[in-house]
Amino acid sequence: MKTVVFSENPVFLRMASAVAQSLGGEVIGISNNADVKVVNKLYVIDKLDEDGIVDLIASLSPDVIITGNVRRDRAIAGRIAGRLKLPIVTDVISFKLEGKKIVADRVAYSGMGVVTVEGELPIVITIANTQLQPKELQPSVEKVQLKEGRVKVVSRKSTSSGSNLSTAQIVVGVGRGIGSKENVKYAEELANALGGVVGGSRPVAAELNWVPEDRQIGLSGLRIRPKLYIALGISGQPQHIAGIRDSKIIVAVNTDKNAPILENADYLVVADAVAFCKAMLNKLGKQ
Amino acid sequence: MNIIVGFKIVPDDQMIKVVGDKLVTDAPLKVSTYDKNAIEEAIRLKEKFGGKVIGITVGNNDRKSIREALAMGIDEVIAVSVKNPDVYITAMAIAENVKSLNPDILIFSEMSTDSGTSALPAYVAELLGLPYISNVRSLKVEGNKVTADRGMVSYVETVEATLPLVISVGGEINTPRIPSVRQIMESAKKPVKEVKFEAQAKIAIKEIKPLIVNRKKIIIEENDVNKAVDKLIEYLKADGVI
Ligand SMILES: Cc1cc2nc3c(=O)[nH]c(=O)nc-3n(C[C@H](O)[C@H](O)[C@H](O)COP(=O)(O)OP(=O)(O)OC[C@H]3O[C@@H](n4cnc5c(N)ncnc54)[C@H](O)[C@@H]3O)c2cc1C
Repeated sequence: MKTVVFSENPVFLRMASAVAQSLGGEVIGISNNADVKVVNKLYVIDKLDEDGIVDLIASLSPDVIITGNVRRDRAIAGRIAGRLKLPIVTDVISFKLEGKKIVADRVAYSGMGVVTVEGELPIVITIANTQLQPKELQPSVEKVQLKEGRVKVVSRKSTSSGSNLSTAQIVVGVGRGIGSKENVKYAEELANALGGVVGGSRPVAAELNWVPEDRQIGLSGLRIRPKLYIALGISGQPQHIAGIRDSKIIVAVNTDKNAPILENADYLVVADAVAFCKAMLNKLGKQ
Repeated sequence: MNIIVGFKIVPDDQMIKVVGDKLVTDAPLKVSTYDKNAIEEAIRLKEKFGGKVIGITVGNNDRKSIREALAMGIDEVIAVSVKNPDVYITAMAIAENVKSLNPDILIFSEMSTDSGTSALPAYVAELLGLPYISNVRSLKVEGNKVTADRGMVSYVETVEATLPLVISVGGEINTPRIPSVRQIMESAKKPVKEVKFEAQAKIAIKEIKPLIVNRKKIIIEENDVNKAVDKLIEYLKADGVI
């Protein structure tokens, strides 16, 4: 068994490596970071050029290719599968090897369903999450200079806002129903009072920029697992719910008591999001 | 400009329901959400540079959804029927049917609302040997040169490439137009070419289950928001989360 792992994101690279190790055989890592100590062999690449990475992985003729689940990982996974005409299973939450076949559970229907699928090796997989931890290994390291790809990166601008939603205990999520960028300050005050952080739905984070883009919660953003999630003016479309399923308690604040988020909330407070924040701040301040 | 736009006809994600231990997916059909953004972007390119927009859809060939896509401004649609479509078959069907059209650009969305693999546009790009730019949130074409901003969640990347190429787009790139009644009427006259594609699927679906987390679903409704907040705080204290 020869498994190649790649992720742009160190957390996903560890998860992919843990899964790869569980398959047995050789684990080959590809990273622009020389400090990856969870694979048998490491190719340290000089740039994150997708053409170059796809060429390199294809040249290794792996039995299994495992990537993480961030956007670049998914682009590369899809391309490797296409290059080698392989089956691909994305968003995998668990899988097992049965002879030359892989049986995997994956998230589908925008996070509403789990689908069990089967495919033969060689195969490409993107990992959504795993409880497995990789063993530490001393890899043999080879530096690789990738050729210049057909897509040239002109600039890269970080959208990082410095707070870690993935590990936060309390998250206040804002949706379009908060009304305006100015109103987000009430959500921030509430989050501060509770010792939490603010995140947002995709339209609010990626389109309207009411909150920084790296705080997008959901299927195509971050999947969070706080003990308390407060959704302010979020309708509760499946793609948003996909990111908050693992929360212990979900509170929704919505003027519409029939908002779909009720199905996935412990408490739905029927109220204006800003009025709710003010009242809540008032109460918390008085305690 | 020869523009190809891929769109998928899917069960409406807002109508899919969990009933008992089943996920009921036979909901009314529609064009997958961000595929409308792909169609919009294709039509804008045509409006700017001329040429033709050919839509391609593989799998479900619901007439009403195809007409909706045509009404938005697609010139013609290739509707491919296949058995057990997976990413492999869908990509092969698209590549086979568009190769001879010499596309300058192929536009897809970043993810469908049903299978949501994000793999299709990348797969097609490889089958056609074209460069691929995923997650495009703004696009500029000048002559042969393409400049695109990619939204990567934790950063935005600006890239350059030359036509022909494949891109995928998300909801941020534009606002899809709503066709007028006249456009809807006229869409009935536009050509829809029905073709078949056969190949052995590489992925078999064994089971579909709902992802259920049981929630309390308590509605707190008071005339005075302060009262509602009092109640909520009591509940949250009892739950031990504040
Ligand atoms: C492929 C794909 C991937 C996606 N990925 C994601 C993702 O990762 N994350 C994500 O969030 N979305 C994602 N989406 C988008 C998702 O489908 C929804 O469009 C989005 O979550 C809706 O955001 P929202 O709830 O903020 O806005 P809306 O749907 O507009 O909801 C606003 C809500 O606010 C309520 N409201 C209005 N006024 C007030 C008020 N004064 N006080 C309180 N409530 C009020 C309304 O009743 C409504 O329920 C994705 C979509 C697709 C197709």
